[in-house]
Amino acid sequence: MTLFEEGRNRTGPATLSVDAVVVGLGAGGSMALRQLARAGVSVLGLEAGGRHTPAQFNQREDEMLPLLFQDGGGRMTADLAIRVLQGRGVGGSTLHNTNLCKRTPSAILEQWALDYGVSGASAADLERSYAAVEADLSITEIPEDAINGNNRLLQRGVSALGWRGGVLRHNRVGCRRSGFCELGCAYDAKQNAAKILVPQAMEAGGRVFSDARVDRILHDGSRATGVAGTFVDDAGNATFPFEIRAKIVVLGGSATGSAALALASNVPDPYDRCGRGLRLHPGSVAAGIFEQPVDAHRGIPQSYECTEYLEFGRGAEKRVWILTAFAHPIGTASMLPGFGAKHMTRMRKYRHLAVFSAMVHDETEGRVIAGEGGRPLLQYAMTEADRRQLAIGLRACGRLLLAAGATEVTFPAIDAPTVTTDAALNALSMDFIRPHTLAMSAVHPMGSMALGDDPKRSVVASTGEHHQLKGLFVADGSLFPTSLGVPPQWSIYAFSHHLSPHMIDAIKR
Amino acid sequence: MATNDAPERPAGDTAGASVGPGRLSRRTFVKAFGAALLAAAGGVGLVRSRGYVKPPGATLLALSASEYAIVSAIASRIAATDGVDMPSAEEVGVARWVDGYVAAMDGPLRRDLLRLLQYVEQLAPTAVGYASRFTRLSAADQDAVLAGMEASRIPLLRGAFGALKGCIYLGYYRDSRTWKGLGYDGPLLGRTP
Ligand SMILES: Cc1cc2nc3c(=O)[nH]c(=O)nc-3n(C[C@H](O)[C@H](O)[C@H](O)COP(=O)(O)OP(=O)(O)OC[C@H]3O[C@@H](n4cnc5c(N)ncnc54)[C@H](O)[C@@H]3O)c2cc1C
Ligand code: SF4
Repeated sequence: MTLFEEGRNRTGPATLSVDAVVVGLGAGGSMALRQLARAGVSVLGLEAGGRHTPAQFNQREDEMLPLLFQDGGGRMTADLAIRVLQGRGVGGSTLHNTNLCKRTPSAILEQWALDYGVSGASAADLERSYAAVEADLSITEIPEDAINGNNRLLQRGVSALGWRGGVLRHNRVGCRRSGFCELGCAYDAKQNAAKILVPQAMEAGGRVFSDARVDRILHDGSRATGVAGTFVDDAGNATFPFEIRAKIVVLGGSATGSAALALASNVPDPYDRCGRGLRLHPGSVAAGIFEQPVDAHRGIPQSYECTEYLEFGRGAEKRVWILTAFAHPIGTASMLPGFGAKHMTRMRKYRHLAVFSAMVHDETEGRVIAGEGGRPLLQYAMTEADRRQLAIGLRACGRLLLAAGATEVTFPAIDAPTVTTDAALNALSMDFIRPHTLAMSAVHPMGSMALGDDPKRSVVASTGEHHQLKGLFVADGSLFPTSLGVPPQWSIYAFSHHLSPHMIDAIKR
Repeated sequence: MATNDAPERPAGDTAGASVGPGRLSRRTFVKAFGAALLAAAGGVGLVRSRGYVKPPGATLLALSASEYAIVSAIASRIAATDGVDMPSAEEVGVARWVDGYVAAMDGPLRRDLLRLLQYVEQLAPTAVGYASRFTRLSAADQDAVLAGMEASRIPLLRGAFGALKGCIYLGYYRDSRTWKGLGYDGPLLGRTP
């Protein structure tokens, strides 16, 4: 029996019976797959995207964006206001993420217990799982000498202003500091789901189909019984159908994919909760021009953070996380304001640009709905309070850039607001900070099938099992009742690890 | 010059749902543009069959000759150069690249992008006072049309412009000839990082 089969090579349909089927093999799905395989149950992982190897990662944006990202990197909220970057392929978004690792702040976990009825998920309850992930993925502090030009400027700005900041932690081993993380690592230095967890799952007997898109969760209204879907070819076209019968179904399709699948499958939802509560952790950037080349595209892209404007928990008044952002030419061109010759003149400053980003620890509750063919459609209308936070964050980015020595600071808005001094920055109207006027993006979608013990307010119980459909579990970024305010991968891996004993119990039930 | 005699898709083929490379639901899109879009869809057959030059070289994969002409015109303005050391969008082959990109898109995304192209060609000029197709306007007037979209009072149009801009720059800055002017030294594979 082959443990890994590429669906694109299938020559016919498939029908199988297993104990557990995992849908989507990103951070959460891969962890569930490994834990279930290690528990000795028969488990099959199904991933809609392909199986990619470091040899394919050629560091070209035009080829890697279509290969590694949903919708070729062009996924947007339904109103086209926010670009939402998410991955596809065995490893999911962990293939192209920038490897930062932070735990869920304990104030957030306390808020979940008090306000959202989440039980058994305090910092102490989760410690074992966080520690296991830390060891699995070799999470360590980024070495001081690996801080690149862009991050060095953020560090300089933070220290000049006397603000709070620090060096971040990551999951890389043998990093060559090439700077191409968001296009996949050609040097196989990322300790991600594809490199660590999926092979470990297969060593323990787990099976995987790539290029296998699940279209429906099979159920009888009270119990999940399996999934049905189709294998896809290189171009994503359906080829042969498959049907997998299973005692439990584990959703790992991400905060957008899992809810869309549950909705398209008519999973019972008497309180209309499925898909609601989507958080995006949306952000935008300020770009500073420096006299000396910054070469922000070289070296580890993100290694330093500013937390001056970040607080957690109920009633937090400062809700922005500031860190560096950098892209290669195509990403930079999409972000810089305007078009035509003027835009090109800005692009010529590429090597002299430092870019800082402000991400809002959002309270806006968006919604995932199942669009045409079950595709996730993301509705998200930013609240005024979040808009104000973004304004605070972008002004802070501007101050940091000027404090670090920028000669000019600009924002990616239609009229390209530009300032050269603190006084001008303070006087600048922040009215341009609104959807469709300012370029915004999001890389950390969360929520949409939230945890909690009250079926009226949550989709899955604190065990990860669906309130209405027994045997259906969620193990990905959908679980979180609020934004984390920090990068989510460590928490997604840890929650999937933490909830896996309940999955095993359900199989034995 | 030969006019297009390539087979065109039926007009109904573009009556789609979302705007690529981002996505816009059919419901949202139709709601936002209402009757204007329906008018555009009605005019598609007319526009597609007349006066567009068939592009030289290999057969197109996804775009019709008219769509190819619209993409070429948009690309030449969005990626207009500011100096002689940068190649033009035509030299880089942006429209050819977009043709391949669209061919790889799934159905709904593809339909949305094609619908957006028709919007730029037929309706966007009227929004800023031109009674002509986009492809027939002067470069300066085309810039005015695109600037009108970028700063439109309709938020969705501003979003659609951003999606279009992203797609064109993907086709332009992918070419290594554009990197020199930026000082970008490209992929490091095969070199010491
Ligand atoms: C550019 C970028 C940088 C990032 N950097 C960081 C960082 O530094 N630190 C951090 O903590 N986080 C980072 N993230 C976010 C992090 O990678 C994600 O939050 C995390 O991977 C999400 O895990 P997940 O399991 O929820 O889903 P994903 O990892 O997104 O995986 C979901 C998988 O499910 C598959 N799928 C979906 N639907 C189906 C279906 N119906 N059938 C079969 N398969 C399906 C998808 O193809 C995908 O492969 C970054 C993200 C991006 C885009
Ligand atoms: S910076 Fe490190 S992890 Fe990122 S792509 Fe380069 S070698 Fe890989």
